[in-house]
This record gives sequence, C-alpha cells and structure tokens, in this order.
Amino acid sequence: MTTMTQTAPLVRVEGVTKRFGSGDKEMVALSGLNLEVREGEFLSLLGPSGCGKSTALNIMGGLLTASEGTVTFSGEPLTEPSRNIGMMFQQAVMFPWRTTLENVLLPVEIFGEKKKDFIPKAEELLEMVGIRDFRDSYPWQLSGGMQQRAALCRVLLHDPKLLLLDEPFGALDEFTRESMNQELLRLQDYATSTAVLVTHNITEAVFMSDRVAVMSARPGRLVDIIEVPFDRPRRPELQTSTEFIKLVAKARQMLELQ
Amino acid sequence: MTTTAPPPAPVRSAPALRPSWWERFRNGSAWIVIATVALFIAIWEFFPQTGLVNRVLFPTFSETVAAFFQLLGGGYWWEDLAKTMSAVAIAWVIGCAFGFVMGVVLGTSPFMRQAITPYAIAVQALPKVVLAPLLIGWLGFGAESKIALAVIICFFPVWIDTMVGLALPSANEFKLMKSLRANRWQVFTKLQLPSALPMIMVGVKHALLLAFTGVIVAEILSASDGGLGKLTKEFASQLNMGLVYSVVTIVVILSITLVSIADVIERRVVFWSEESRSRKK
Repeated sequence: MTTMTQTAPLVRVEGVTKRFGSGDKEMVALSGLNLEVREGEFLSLLGPSGCGKSTALNIMGGLLTASEGTVTFSGEPLTEPSRNIGMMFQQAVMFPWRTTLENVLLPVEIFGEKKKDFIPKAEELLEMVGIRDFRDSYPWQLSGGMQQRAALCRVLLHDPKLLLLDEPFGALDEFTRESMNQELLRLQDYATSTAVLVTHNITEAVFMSDRVAVMSARPGRLVDIIEVPFDRPRRPELQTSTEFIKLVAKARQMLELQ
Repeated sequence: MTTTAPPPAPVRSAPALRPSWWERFRNGSAWIVIATVALFIAIWEFFPQTGLVNRVLFPTFSETVAAFFQLLGGGYWWEDLAKTMSAVAIAWVIGCAFGFVMGVVLGTSPFMRQAITPYAIAVQALPKVVLAPLLIGWLGFGAESKIALAVIICFFPVWIDTMVGLALPSANEFKLMKSLRANRWQVFTKLQLPSALPMIMVGVKHALLLAFTGVIVAEILSASDGGLGKLTKEFASQLNMGLVYSVVTIVVILSITLVSIADVIERRVVFWSEESRSRKK
C-alpha cells in the first residue's frame, strides 16, 4: 500500500477544455477535465483512442495550451515546458547522427550546461538499463527496446519531478514492452519522481499505477478514478491474482459503460 | 529495425567494405564490365572502317587514342583546363552558398516561402541556358559570365534540397526539442540542419555537375575566355574529331573523379543517413 501524505498535489488540472480548429471544423478534444496528480504517485490516463488523453498529457507538459481552464505545477500556473517535467513519446526520438551517449546528453546541451558534469550520471543511468556497452553506438544500431531505454535515460538525466509518458512502449512488442514497464517502475522509484502514463492497455494501466484515471471517448472527459492498492515492487505474477483481475474487469466495465 | 532482434554488436565506425577488384575477378562480376567495354571498343574501332560513316567525322578508337596523347603532349590545353576548373570551382562554391542561404531563409520562414515560391517555380521551369546571351551581354565574354551562368544553373538543387531537408524532422522530434525548451537557433542547429544534411549533400553533388555543364556551355557560346568548352568548339570547327573526342574524354574523367570524391565525402559526413547505411550493406 502506498501511503500518501496529504500535501498539495504536484499537478492540478482544473476545468481544462481543449478545442482544435474553429467554426464547422471545431473539434473538442477535452471537455472540462479535472484531475490532480499527487506527489510521488504513478497515475495512468486510460481511455480509448481519441479520448484526448494525449492532449491532456501535452497540456500538462506545457506543449499545448488549454482553451479553457488552468493547470498548475508545484502550485505555479503552467504555461510552457519546464525542465522539471520530462516527456517521453511513442517513438524513442533518437537522433541518428548522435551516439547513444550524445543523445542522452542532448538536454544538457540545450540547457547550456557542461557535458562533462553529466557524463558520470548518464553512464550510471545507461548502466542501470543495461546498455552502457552501447554508449558509443548509434541509435540505428540498437533495437527498438534499447532505443527506448536510452530515451528513458535522457529524460531522467535531470531528475524531473514529473514524468509524462505518452504510450512510450506502444510501438514495442509485448515481451519487450513488459520488461520496459518493469524497468520504468524501477527507475521511477530510483528517481523518486511522479509519473503520468497515457495508455489504452487496461492491464498495463492497472499493473503500473497507484491510480487509474479512466476517460471517455470524444469529447474526452474523466469517468472515474480507480485506486490500485497493491504493494510495490510489483511482480509480473500479480497479473494473475484474483484482486488484480477484478480491478481490470472494473476498469473495462467503466470504459464500456460510457 | 525489429524490436525483437538480438542486440547488435556495437559497430565502431566501420568503413564501407566493398568487394575489391580481386574479389570481383574471382566471383566473375568484373568480367561483365570488361566484356562490355571490350565490345564497345571493338565496335568503335571497326565500324568507322566499314565506310558506312564518314571517317573524318567518326574517327576510330585507335585514332582517338593517338589524338588523346597528342593533346596530352601538346601542353597548350593546360591553361584551358585551369580556366574551366577554376570557373567550375568558383561557380560551385557561390551556387552552393547562395542555394543554401535561400534554402535556409525559405525553409525557416513561412512568410518568405509564400512570397518567393512563385519565383521559385518560374526559375525551376526556365531552361536556364537561355539566359546565357543576356549574361554575356551584361558581364562580357570573360570568366564572369561563365561563372554567372553556372551559378544560376547549379544553385537550384541546393536551394530546394536544403528547404525540403529542413522540414524533414518528424512532429515528435520537434516536440522533444520543444519539451526541452530549445530556442529556434537550437532547433535549427541541433535538429533541422543535421536532418537536412543528407539531402543537402545530394543537392551539392548535383550542383557540381550542373556547374560543370554551365561553365562548358558558356565557354562554347563565348569562346574568347578559353576553357575546355572553347577547345571542343575549335577542334570541331577544324574537323579534328579525334581531338574533340579527347576533350570529351577528359571532361568525362574529370566529372567522374569529382563525383567520386564527393561520394566519399558524403559517406563520411552523413554516415548515419539511411542512404549511406544501405550502401554499406
């Protein structure tokens, strides 16, 4: 059981609506979303395709601005990306002209810091995800899973308070995906950061999360939040337990009831 | 790349390993080339002797080889060679620089792209050689008009390839840069420019041959400044076709050499591009 001290939430999303286009072509992607992300938790946004969960994540990351409503991060209004927020996308997004290590160090260059100061940390992270031997290889010499491991190192390099994960392992095969999820939980714990994962995989959402926010299809709204009480670290065997299956069934029912 | 593939061994900048000539002899692929070349030379040698074509206009292979060595021994053409090559080099550098700047301006500013696109289409459609008389009229018969024509002919692919290349990065790549709060200059230097480099290299190579074409056309049109183009025109007017062939051969050797050098440079600079990687296999 994760014990949560009752402090102010890390992220507070209040009445956020997002519209794309205008006039006849207007499309409401999100409608009046209210959501709080607690410090240190792992929250999943679960919903069908087109339910605006990625839009919600991009707004939390400051990549998109809400048409209505507000987002606060650590109590401050969030209007642009912050270096305390790290984002991971569906693709690893590794630059083919940079070695793995150089890719991991990209944020350092953009923040205008000294690369030398971050090399030990980068190597430690690469070691943790088991690809240190590939530090001088190019991304196209790595498998998809290894590329995402490197992307994970890149996002963790500056110890972000908040990790925003947009189906980061969605393009990987089932086996790689499971091991990447384990890796992610381990590293989130190590980095003591808060994580928000966008997914349309019910089992994955329940397995990974402390809470699962279930969303409805367009326009995206929050249906309910499911608390997931299992201990950490979570073993893959958990997925066959009765309680786990019950929670998955509950989430599935919520998705179908809309 | 499949995600289930076993981890590939870290490759440390493996140079392109193409089969050597010796290997190609052994596996037989070299013989195809040798046979076609031999057949070509044989036809060249014997066909003019049949009397079906005028031997003055179509010298045999051996006569051409003799003319070639006569030209090489003559020495007077070195100056023409130097003039042509220096004009090509200057025009190529100016053309690439101009094309690159235009490509960057249009590739990064939607306003400029809107404003200039109609002219770009007009320039692209225009057979640029038609400007030669105009340029000669403006700039005279010297090297300037040669270089100007070559620049106008060669800058275009660099311009277009730079512009297109800068737009190549995916939405996710731009998103990553944005999430890191990269400014426009950082997005340009760390994402767009490297992404565009393979295409720019293609444009630069293309420009090299076009600059060559432009200079030689201008030399043929305004012979007074000299150059290899002028030589072919002179020899042709003297009906010394063996020498014309020889100059053409020199031009072919030069352009193949230049393109080969450019290929090597390209493979070094953009070793990571899909194109370079597929050529290594």
